[in-house]
Amino acid sequence: MILTGVLLAVLGLGLVGWFAARGRARLLHTGRGSLQSMPVYHGWHMLLWILVPALIAWGAWMAIMPGLVDGAVMADPAAAQLPADSMSRASILAEAKALADNPGQAAFNPLSQSLSEPVRAAHQRFGLIGAVLVLIVAFAGGGWAFTKVRANFPARSRVERAVMVVLLLASLMAILTTFGIVGSLVFEAGLFFKDVSPIAFLTGTHWAPGNARGANLQDSFGAVPLFWGTIYIGAIIAMIVAIPLGLMSAIYLTQYATSNVRKWLKPMLEILAGIPTVVYGYFAALTVAPIFRDFAAAIGMANPSTESALAAGVVMGVMIIPFVSSMADDALAAVPRAMSDGSLALGATKSETIKKVLLPAALPGIVAGVMLAISRAIGETMIVVMAAGAAANLSLNPFASMTTVTYQIVQMLTGDQEFNSPKTLSAFALGLVLFIVTLVLNIIALRVVKRFREAYE
Amino acid sequence: MSNARWQTPEAARRIARRNAAERRFKLIGLGAIALSLAFLALLLVIMLKNGLSGLSWTFLTGSDSTDPSVAGVWGATKGSLLTMLVTLLLSFPMGVLAAVYLEEFAPRARWIEWIEVSINNLAAVPSIIFGLLGLAVFINTIGMPRSSPLVGGLTLALMTMPVIVISGRNAIKAVPPSIRDAALAVGASKVQTVFHHVLPLALPGILTGTIIGMARALGETAPLLMIGMRAFVVTPPGGITDPASVLPMQIFLWSDEINSGFIRNTSAAIIVLLVFLLAMNGLAIYLRNKFEVRW
Repeated sequence: MILTGVLLAVLGLGLVGWFAARGRARLLHTGRGSLQSMPVYHGWHMLLWILVPALIAWGAWMAIMPGLVDGAVMADPAAAQLPADSMSRASILAEAKALADNPGQAAFNPLSQSLSEPVRAAHQRFGLIGAVLVLIVAFAGGGWAFTKVRANFPARSRVERAVMVVLLLASLMAILTTFGIVGSLVFEAGLFFKDVSPIAFLTGTHWAPGNARGANLQDSFGAVPLFWGTIYIGAIIAMIVAIPLGLMSAIYLTQYATSNVRKWLKPMLEILAGIPTVVYGYFAALTVAPIFRDFAAAIGMANPSTESALAAGVVMGVMIIPFVSSMADDALAAVPRAMSDGSLALGATKSETIKKVLLPAALPGIVAGVMLAISRAIGETMIVVMAAGAAANLSLNPFASMTTVTYQIVQMLTGDQEFNSPKTLSAFALGLVLFIVTLVLNIIALRVVKRFREAYE
Repeated sequence: MSNARWQTPEAARRIARRNAAERRFKLIGLGAIALSLAFLALLLVIMLKNGLSGLSWTFLTGSDSTDPSVAGVWGATKGSLLTMLVTLLLSFPMGVLAAVYLEEFAPRARWIEWIEVSINNLAAVPSIIFGLLGLAVFINTIGMPRSSPLVGGLTLALMTMPVIVISGRNAIKAVPPSIRDAALAVGASKVQTVFHHVLPLALPGILTGTIIGMARALGETAPLLMIGMRAFVVTPPGGITDPASVLPMQIFLWSDEINSGFIRNTSAAIIVLLVFLLAMNGLAIYLRNKFEVRW
């Protein structure tokens, strides 16, 4: 607790330093050009010298303090009774720490009760030492910066250098996130592939992680039905809905609608993209799925399930319409005006021009847009979780319940099982496959779009 | 030449056929839009029909419960607000600073290209992957509290940041070079030029992009499912480290309930969520119209 307080103290100190350095620099001001930097930059320079070293010291202390506390607790006479094996030792220590934070709690293990007092004492002692240390660093930094407040000191360029470092760090966050994703997926998937061979995972057709143990571990993680369900729902059914509707609305909006109509219709269409997927999922499960089920029953299918690939795919397709529409819109707009003018001048009607000239010319852009739409559809989670079902079915029947990669990731990770079982780890292997597929689709699509634009420029 | 070839009955028929095809094509286009909008209208009408009767003071101020008649959304709304607060505080400064760096200062180098590629790709990575990242890094490696708005906000911040960077770069790019030249000409440094002149002019555009990114984060469910924000929370969370639920998650949890009273609650919660999203998007459009400058 004291370490949180010291952070506030350092912030306050920084504020005081800002005013002090600025005030002192103002006193140095004797006329035009007498100061190399404006007083406010001296203030920022001081603030930086107080905050940055103190924060580094604080972070370092937070990192080493648990070790120091553990060492002090181990030295306590009560620790001599701790069991030898590290597992139960760690659990007792963890309980003692929880008790130290919150003394009213009942102890599960009497040993941790007797250890909680030393833990609290060590916490207090090392917290105090750390706080003093951080304050010393802050004062040292501030003092050093204060001596630098001189008329010819280039405070501005120093501060600007610090600004550049901050900017750079912010942009490196993106790379760090990418590395974080790749790193964690590859690491956890690697643990999974130690138990199940990648070939069995990628080519097996039997998915039953529920009873996966011992000898049949290899045969229970065949992900092909999942891949099929994902492709069937996301890349086939959803696209059958989204491509014609999206493309035709783009054609109408760009070629036929007057600018007034377009101004109203386009935002309304885009509302479809702004509705949260969980709402679509609920709509699919509540309204769309029963309609398809009744339809399936009407055409004579024996006990159709409520959850169907068709319901999830159709709703997903509707969700994707604005996306396809805006991609097609861009592609059509990139086709040079002279091409359609030429066709119209030869006597072709507008629809003939669109079908025979505009669409073929815009095709690469449209295909790229469809690829991006597919990559979005196969990564979509909530609709399939709520409407597609859990059964790993390798079937062509759209009324059957089908499962997808994203559904299984959710399924594997939301139960209460220990973290390192093959079952939970399989979610990361599925995530890795999903990540790679969407990445490849995106890279190809972006490249096609780029080349397509260049062709007409 | 009283009877030119294009005036024969046959030619007239052909032209009529082509004109009919033209009208048909136009109608198909209009029909596509009408069908999409009809779907939207159907969705909204069904939610309103099921949910409007559920909107009451107890619903808006209550928390989750096993009894549908006393269950409410305030707990989830507060969780959403806390999560969005964490997301905004992290992703907005980070995104704006990264956009400034990439647009104004970055040297033309190989590793800058890597940053740009990774930002563009992150914007297209499925949201559930960010959930896996949050689970593996924030919860299992760093050991932050599960189900808390802190972890949820961090995860969503990583997801929102690329959106803010991309819209921020476009907004900064739209500021004409003459502004920069003028500031530099009277002796401002490059950093002063950017922070005193370019950024304030680009801010409305950046804010619009930020609000749209936040609206997307507010409706997001899948990554939060990964980090366990599906706790059954009877009391609203007191801070960013308490277990919490968020509005879309509450919708998801209620949609799974067997008790039919929850259909009304789910629809009512959807109305609340959509009202929030509508307000945010409306604000974004208002900002864009009010402050947009055409150079």
